[in-house]
Amino acid sequence: MPREVEVSVNERAFIQQALQENVRLDGRAFDAFRPLELTFGDEYGVADVQLGKTRVIARISVDVTAPLPERKFDGIFQIVAEFSPMASPAFEVGRPTDAEVILSRILEKAIRRSNALDTESLCIIAGLKCFALRADVHIIDHDGGLIDASCIAVMAALQHFRRPDVVVEGEKATILSVREREPIPLSILHQPLCVTFSCYEDGERILIDANLAEEQVRQEEVIVTMNRHGEVCQVAKYGGATVEPLALLNCINMASQKVKEISKFIQTKLEEDAKKRDAGGLMAELSAENER
Amino acid sequence: MPLDTSIYPLALLRLDGRRWNELRRIHAQVSVQAAADGSSYLEMGNTRVICVVLGPAEGKDKGQRGAREGEAKVGVEIAVAGFSGMERRRRVGNKRTSEMQHCLSTAFSSLLFTHLYPHSTISISIHILSQDGSLLAACLNAATLALIDAGIPMSDYLTACTVASSASSSSSDTATSDPLLDLNGLEEQELPFLTIGAVGEKVSVLMLETRVRMERVEGMLAVGVEGCKRVRAILDGVVRTYEKKFG
Amino acid sequence: MSVSATIILPGDEIPSSTLPQPTNKKKPLTLGPGLRHIPPDTIVTTVAGALATDTKKNAVWVEYNSGRYLPSAGDLVIATVNNSAAENFNCILTPNTPPATLPHLAFEGATRKTRPQLYPNSLVYARIFNAGKESSPELTCVDPSTGKSDGLGPLKGGTVFQISLGMARRLLAGRKGGVIVLEGLSEKVGFEVAIGRNGMLWVDGGNIKTTLVIGKAVQEVDEQALGEKGQKKVVERVLRGL
Repeated sequence: MPREVEVSVNERAFIQQALQENVRLDGRAFDAFRPLELTFGDEYGVADVQLGKTRVIARISVDVTAPLPERKFDGIFQIVAEFSPMASPAFEVGRPTDAEVILSRILEKAIRRSNALDTESLCIIAGLKCFALRADVHIIDHDGGLIDASCIAVMAALQHFRRPDVVVEGEKATILSVREREPIPLSILHQPLCVTFSCYEDGERILIDANLAEEQVRQEEVIVTMNRHGEVCQVAKYGGATVEPLALLNCINMASQKVKEISKFIQTKLEEDAKKRDAGGLMAELSAENER
Repeated sequence: MPLDTSIYPLALLRLDGRRWNELRRIHAQVSVQAAADGSSYLEMGNTRVICVVLGPAEGKDKGQRGAREGEAKVGVEIAVAGFSGMERRRRVGNKRTSEMQHCLSTAFSSLLFTHLYPHSTISISIHILSQDGSLLAACLNAATLALIDAGIPMSDYLTACTVASSASSSSSDTATSDPLLDLNGLEEQELPFLTIGAVGEKVSVLMLETRVRMERVEGMLAVGVEGCKRVRAILDGVVRTYEKKFG
Repeated sequence: MSVSATIILPGDEIPSSTLPQPTNKKKPLTLGPGLRHIPPDTIVTTVAGALATDTKKNAVWVEYNSGRYLPSAGDLVIATVNNSAAENFNCILTPNTPPATLPHLAFEGATRKTRPQLYPNSLVYARIFNAGKESSPELTCVDPSTGKSDGLGPLKGGTVFQISLGMARRLLAGRKGGVIVLEGLSEKVGFEVAIGRNGMLWVDGGNIKTTLVIGKAVQEVDEQALGEKGQKKVVERVLRGL
């Protein structure tokens, strides 16, 4: 039976000893992320995030349905995150582990409940038709930091996504295909991003972006979600070792800095991608010449 | 929204007439259930929960999933009564409850001396009878009492409360904002708030689920830790009067 | 031994010209892992890798670097203890292989009273005693003929690094494997290593820095598939850093 790969006693002692000497096994500073890589797919709304060895792909898809009866003016937005056995032998299909529940719950709170996406803009005809947006999060490789990577992936994918345009005439709504009308980007109100802190030695030492081995040795985690405007969207610290309130405030300050950096990174990647798509620029599009 | 927060800056009184740093009435009892190893009943205002602790006993699942070898596993089950909320609704296994279960389980695993009971399970079941805000805090407090009643050794005990920031997240003037202690259901819907569980001066559980300016958090934390101390004093009293019975 | 660099793919037929020309005519041809004999005289590969031959032993086999470790008798492995049962420890070799058993008495000088106490998740350097298709593999920490440990037993201190199975095999093959990084390092620094065929390398350099540096050096050689020249460079760089 596949099981969770636990760190051995030796590794545990080694990591703790190393932290006491202010050394991380991969030579990073305590407050450094692993190298972050972000690529977009050929289609709109596909983001592939690599954070060290961890790899997460998020994909946005859209459909037209009737809105929920209690929310007539809102579209539907759903985030689905499932662990598949391809990421780690510890994951099984159909049996959600605690980590899985926490991941989807944090994404839900960080992105959906903080109103990162303006769901009202997804409404087509109040009470009758709306867009149902779905973000699928696929964990491709698991080496810790799943929450941070997934959040980056979903946010990047949302910003990259374009939904088809729609024309409403009375009760009749016509979805225009990509060929007829340029698809439009989603209206995103702010960009929440998660930073996970791992605490050791009763909160004495705090690491950012722990890898899998460090995650298993840590006493507790603090997940802080912020946007670059300095708003805290969500903080979750589920028990574990106790820490001074001051250390928590410190975490929030650090998170705000990191979130700004990552936001900027996503922005530059989006711009790069836009430039690539718009290869010839407007002139090429307008030209009547074709390749023949 | 039913609550008009604009009244607050004028009278400095909340909807139910409390001032900013007042707790609601806390009423608690221990040993309310004869069959259990430990039990408690807790009211924080109109939030009512009952908590039952069984064990440490040999776990049903031999595999001990999710527990480290040589330590007891803390299993938590939270049942929400259909009549507890505003709408009567049957909800089975939603993610919010499983998150709360996970929170209680990790909070108490590190607090209890689980290494004294290898290969066993301490099961905490909580029934939520009525909800009116501060739900997670009430669950944590009730579980603390029930665990004390069950006589399971712990390093210190955990008390919890909620704190809100009274100004909405959009306005940036910090001067007029007051942190509010111990929210009821209506306030919780309206204001950004956090649930804090403290052991002495240190924070064990912290859950913030609504958007708030980062400058506000400091004040909220400070009031929260203070609030937890007051809750602790009340629970202390409950335990002491109960222990007197053994003279 | 000559490792010819012929790359073969599953289903390829081995032409008889590449087969070893035995020095001793009487010795029958031995087929190693990854090869299959179809009578009368066709030899077909079943895995992708490099063909290797040994004229002295009249043997031919395929060197391949697979992702999955299959226990086979005689392999040296680093096992992680999962739990202790009545007669033996249950050990994990890799997350995907069936659990292996290590009898309590399979240690040097172990009796009912003096057997070692191993806690869950401790590491043991052991040899695979037998590994059948139907039964779970059995480990041992003593040489059954001499009763000596030969360096096997519980591993204390240090830490483990993940390496590829091919790298582990090359490291264990010593000079023949073409990996000189450890030898190069050992000229200047002292350390202990244990290499497990299940893709684990245990290093203890006495302090955190040395241990890390050695483990990382081996991992670098492994990941970038460095030749001798590259390895020498790594060694030089590492020694300068210490």
